[in-house]
Amino acid sequence: MTSFDQRAFFKEVAACGDAAKGLRLIADAVRRRQLDAEGMDKAGRRCAATFTAADIVAERVLLLGQCTTTWVGTALTAVAWGEGRALDVVEGTYDNVLQELLGANPAIRPAAVVLLPWNKRLLASGSRSAAERVQDELDFWREAWRAVETRLASRIVQVGYDTVSPGALGYGLGARGGGDVALVRAVNEGLRAALPAGAAFVDLEAVAGEAGRRSFYDLRRYHWTKQPFSEQGVIRLAEHLSAALRAAIVGPRKVLVLDLDNTVWGGIVGEVGPLGITIGEGPDGEAFTAFQRHVKRLSERGIVLAVSSKNNDADAREPFRTNPEMVLSLDDFAQFEANWEPKAVSLRRIAKTLQLGLDSFVFFDDNPAEREHIRQALPDVAVVEVPEDPAEYVRALDQELWFEAVGLTDEDRIRSEQYRSEARRRDEESSYESVDAYLASLEMVADVRPIDDADMDRVVQLIGKTNQFNLTTRRHGAAQVRQMLAEAGAVGLTLRVADRFGDHGLVAVAIARMEPAERTACIDTWLMSCRVIGRTVEEFFFNQLVDAVRGSGARRLKGEFIPTAKNGLVSDLYDRLGFERIGTDGAGRVEYRFDCATAGAVKTFVRPKAAVMGAAS
Amino acid sequence: MDILEQLTGIFRDVFDADDLTLSRETTAADVDGWDSLMHVRLVIAVEKAFGVRFSSSEVASLANVGELADAVARKAGSRA
Repeated sequence: MTSFDQRAFFKEVAACGDAAKGLRLIADAVRRRQLDAEGMDKAGRRCAATFTAADIVAERVLLLGQCTTTWVGTALTAVAWGEGRALDVVEGTYDNVLQELLGANPAIRPAAVVLLPWNKRLLASGSRSAAERVQDELDFWREAWRAVETRLASRIVQVGYDTVSPGALGYGLGARGGGDVALVRAVNEGLRAALPAGAAFVDLEAVAGEAGRRSFYDLRRYHWTKQPFSEQGVIRLAEHLSAALRAAIVGPRKVLVLDLDNTVWGGIVGEVGPLGITIGEGPDGEAFTAFQRHVKRLSERGIVLAVSSKNNDADAREPFRTNPEMVLSLDDFAQFEANWEPKAVSLRRIAKTLQLGLDSFVFFDDNPAEREHIRQALPDVAVVEVPEDPAEYVRALDQELWFEAVGLTDEDRIRSEQYRSEARRRDEESSYESVDAYLASLEMVADVRPIDDADMDRVVQLIGKTNQFNLTTRRHGAAQVRQMLAEAGAVGLTLRVADRFGDHGLVAVAIARMEPAERTACIDTWLMSCRVIGRTVEEFFFNQLVDAVRGSGARRLKGEFIPTAKNGLVSDLYDRLGFERIGTDGAGRVEYRFDCATAGAVKTFVRPKAAVMGAAS
Repeated sequence: MDILEQLTGIFRDVFDADDLTLSRETTAADVDGWDSLMHVRLVIAVEKAFGVRFSSSEVASLANVGELADAVARKAGSRA
């Protein structure tokens, strides 16, 4: 491996006339970890100076510290640029956090504000009690959050407190009562509990602990510059800040694509067979087992797993079927690509099937050639720099921070499960003779209910984001929905559906308003999640809607199709359901009519929940 | 290359200024952008380049580049 000449590198960057090219060189060097602390500082300053020239719009981030933030801002710029994000980091004056926030110009709203405390006042000698000290710090940061919320409405990245040494009471006593360690932990717990929704917390104790306080802090630097972090500490802190900003603004990456041979097991299964791979026993086996366990826990947390392996499909699946030491099972993967095509082709296919962008992918492969191939072919994919020793795999994956998130929602956990059951369903689909037989085998059961307050959030969310199966694309808010439902004769319905492979949750909404004099119900809103398209779920819902409006006294239904760029899918839905076209305007909008007094039910493979519940299991 | 030449290279690097020239008499006042934070960066860069370490009081007592060069010579030389 050739040694990197940093001086020559920056000369090259300065010499190349093209701003965009210079920035690309810098991004590559940052990603490859070729730059030392001085280099990261230079890189950050160069980025800041060049973004405008390269027509790159940078997101503004305000960095406010109770310690000196010099070098942290530039390191953050460089780290973020290595991840493909352009930041314009504006540093506030030393220890002027509130003054900066209260004096900030609301017209120049930053995307995020990074708040960096330091323990100077918390740990100062004096007569204030432990509880008072903790309260003082928490009161301060509450003021800061209030200022951010009222003046700037930016995302917040709150860094925690830490000690450099345990203090006068030492390690044992320091962690009890009013000792330094206890004070820091109490403030951090208080911060975490009081943090505004959507804010990211960077646990400085954990970050420093990971590096080791002796190498993370540099007291000499603190005395000289009022910045406590060492050169390496600054870079590591910048990496965590970048991950926190990403978590707060964009969200964590969602997909982990794994190689198989020498990644989740030792050896090449095509050569040694499914029982000859290294997993379970022995030092290497234990390491691979630990890695599989870690990956499985990521999946339980909501990260979607996929495989991309250069192998015959049958060979690749064998260990999952026959090797008892395997921790991961085929069920854990939303997609399994084992073939001889270039891995970029497989990853593109996985992205298309999962309907997730490549910029939410993380790629873990022991083979440096494959890693380089993906870096070149799919620059949006995060490629983990995998170390040689499998014992280091877990740490290597963790420390890249791609899955840092602001909060863990039930939705995250369900999402991974949804993708896996979707995968099982897809596998089954291909082996059915007829579509009807397949649809029947799904054993779909649906529950239709009137829209109630408990569902309102989800209903409004669906109304806001459903584009394809959406007849009228009216983006009602909760207030408008309630107003419509309060009208005489109005009908508002939600549909939940489950099948043999899993529960899809609340996936469809319909709202019809009554014209009493005409005894006609007009369908204002009808939309459905694309997850359940093509299975006669809409036919089932339609039958329920007809029953409901009949119950309201309607003899006729009116429907509208309002075309958009995305809803061509439903341009003929009303025609298929037997509606009659009664008018169209120049913009492609079509009006329909349906006589529901005499209409029979439309064919569907979905059964109502109540009927099923009565049956013996 | 003597120490002054090496220091010139380091200063050019840290200041990002290829045309910077140093003499033994150069002080912080003579160079644009040589503030207290830049001073720290220079000291750290010099320490790395020569494999030496300065104490806070040593750093505070340096009046010009010549004294810096002498301090480096003393420390680097004493390790030979």
